[in-house]
Amino acid sequence: MKCYLVKDLMVPISEYATVPEAATLFEAVLALEEAQEQYQQSRYSHRAVLILDKNKRVIGKLSQMDFLCALEPRDADLDQIRKFNQFGFTRKAVALQQEEYLKKSPPKLDVYSKAAKLKVTDFMQRPAEGEYVDENTSVDMTLHQLTAGSNLSLLVTRGKEIVGVLRLVDVFAAVFHAMKESETQLLDGTT
Amino acid sequence: MKELVKLFDRIIQRVNINLRELEFDVNPIVNKLIPTAQMTKFYAFYGITPHHPLNFVFKHSNLSGSYFLGRCRVTNSLLYKSDIRGDELKKNGDLFQYQGFNIPVSQDEEIHIDDSFLIKTLVHNFSHDPETLERFFIRDTVSTHYANIHGSPSDGCFMGPFSTVDLTTMRDCVIGAYAYVQAGEISHLNVDPGTVWVRQPGVFNFMYRYPRGQLNDYIYFSDGPPRGVFMDFVEDRKEAFQRVFEVVNIENQVAVPGSASLDRFAVIKPKTSIGENVLVAQRAYLQNSTLGKGANAQENCYIINSHLRGNNVTAHGAKIIDADMGNDVFVGFNSFLRGRPDARLTIGKESIVMPHTIIDIRKPMMVPPGTLVWGLVRNAKELKTNSMGLKDFSKIDTRICKGNLLFEGSGGSFVTAFQERIHHILEANGAFYNGNVNRGHAQRNQNISFNTIQPYPEGEKEGMYPTIIIEP
Repeated sequence: MKCYLVKDLMVPISEYATVPEAATLFEAVLALEEAQEQYQQSRYSHRAVLILDKNKRVIGKLSQMDFLCALEPRDADLDQIRKFNQFGFTRKAVALQQEEYLKKSPPKLDVYSKAAKLKVTDFMQRPAEGEYVDENTSVDMTLHQLTAGSNLSLLVTRGKEIVGVLRLVDVFAAVFHAMKESETQLLDGTT
Repeated sequence: MKELVKLFDRIIQRVNINLRELEFDVNPIVNKLIPTAQMTKFYAFYGITPHHPLNFVFKHSNLSGSYFLGRCRVTNSLLYKSDIRGDELKKNGDLFQYQGFNIPVSQDEEIHIDDSFLIKTLVHNFSHDPETLERFFIRDTVSTHYANIHGSPSDGCFMGPFSTVDLTTMRDCVIGAYAYVQAGEISHLNVDPGTVWVRQPGVFNFMYRYPRGQLNDYIYFSDGPPRGVFMDFVEDRKEAFQRVFEVVNIENQVAVPGSASLDRFAVIKPKTSIGENVLVAQRAYLQNSTLGKGANAQENCYIINSHLRGNNVTAHGAKIIDADMGNDVFVGFNSFLRGRPDARLTIGKESIVMPHTIIDIRKPMMVPPGTLVWGLVRNAKELKTNSMGLKDFSKIDTRICKGNLLFEGSGGSFVTAFQERIHHILEANGAFYNGNVNRGHAQRNQNISFNTIQPYPEGEKEGMYPTIIIEP
């Protein structure tokens, strides 16, 4: 199996979708769309947007899940319902209570329009310590970091600089192809 | 009084350290809740009977206006007008049943209160924690007006006014005003005001939340003393209690059958009738009411212009006004049931009014027999949302969402657990006494002698009680 390094598989930051910290959610989605159109290296699409500060440093990441969460209605009662899992209720029960509550709420016709104007920084995730990986780390080593933190991607560093994004889909593809190659060789008796 | 102030600071610091993860600061909430001058004014007292153990140790504490029964140690604590009722503690040789285990109790259980500040709080029952069977501990805890710590060891917690923690060990938790928790074991939880939560893991989970804002009319607690209907209600009747605490020999205002017990620190107003096997605990208030055979009124209960037919449990802190209760009706902790003279509330037999229920009506209302009622009920529409026949509730086997109630698990197990507990309470209170067997509190709590103890009257130790050891 070929021994990949992180830098072999990462998406360079220049090709990744980025927006400045002052951007709105709508601008972030547009950036994502644009990046998807430009980036044709693999059949996997972009799934997140990086948020840059004025010095072009990465300060956060907005995933598709973060984006959808931003569209969810919010009020103090719903926040309270969403905490119900702390009290031993199953997800199904929490969803039932939420659905029941939303039935009584007034319809929010302009929910998309309102969400589009929200600030991206209010919904982005700030990267935690375990979400960085050096570009020269082997992919084998990185596997553990991805699985232990249930991360969909890691930020790739060169010194103090962030130079790319290592995505779970690319790691999976590389490992899968390596496994397939190795199994085929075994069957052919070529090893 | 310097010592008293130092002790207060020490307790607050210890509680805050425990609650740091929840970022909860008790200091601004309780700082001026009870002025220290108030804490030097009242004597403490304890009960002596041949039927209860007698073993008290009080060290470096203030106990103003508090009552003790059974076995209890209080160290580095402030207890203001609290009831520490140790008449249900386990005894050496008892077997404690827990998840199929029979765990022997190796010594008489004691209530241990350390580094805590309890305001008008009731401590009762016994530790249900299998890890601490012989010690019912309350440490680094602040509880406020009319809180109930019922069979619930507590470590590093804050309890808001009219809150109840029942049969649950709690660590580093905040229990909001008028919240009720019965969940076995909890830690690092902030339970919002007006949450009623009953959970048996893997069996059922019941949670009701009072609508935001609407609870504030009844109890509001932010900074300063608690406010709202509940506080106004008890404050309006405060004077009647002052008399029973000031007078040394008080005569019964009402005929009490030989099998019943009326505590001398209860208030009995005219036209009250007490039946056989009735238990009326200290700080209960009865006025123009009938308590039928086997009914009880526990601490801080108010029963006014009402008729209880028999075998009624009125749990700690419950209030029943202008109401008619059928046989075997259970009214849970701190419930507030208020009819009006021209709009009586009738609750049919064998109904269960969940702990912390508010029924406050202006038109006559009838709750059918065998009904489970919870939450806020002010009219027929709210009754429909917040009640269900016990038979129908028993049929739930997955989950149900009804108004602000979320229930998951076995409705049958939930109803059975309540019914068994109600039976046990009646049994423990002596409701089934037949002249020979089934003696309970109603029979054992007769003829209690009360001794008083007092603090230093002035100087640096003003308000502090000297170390006192009381043994048989």
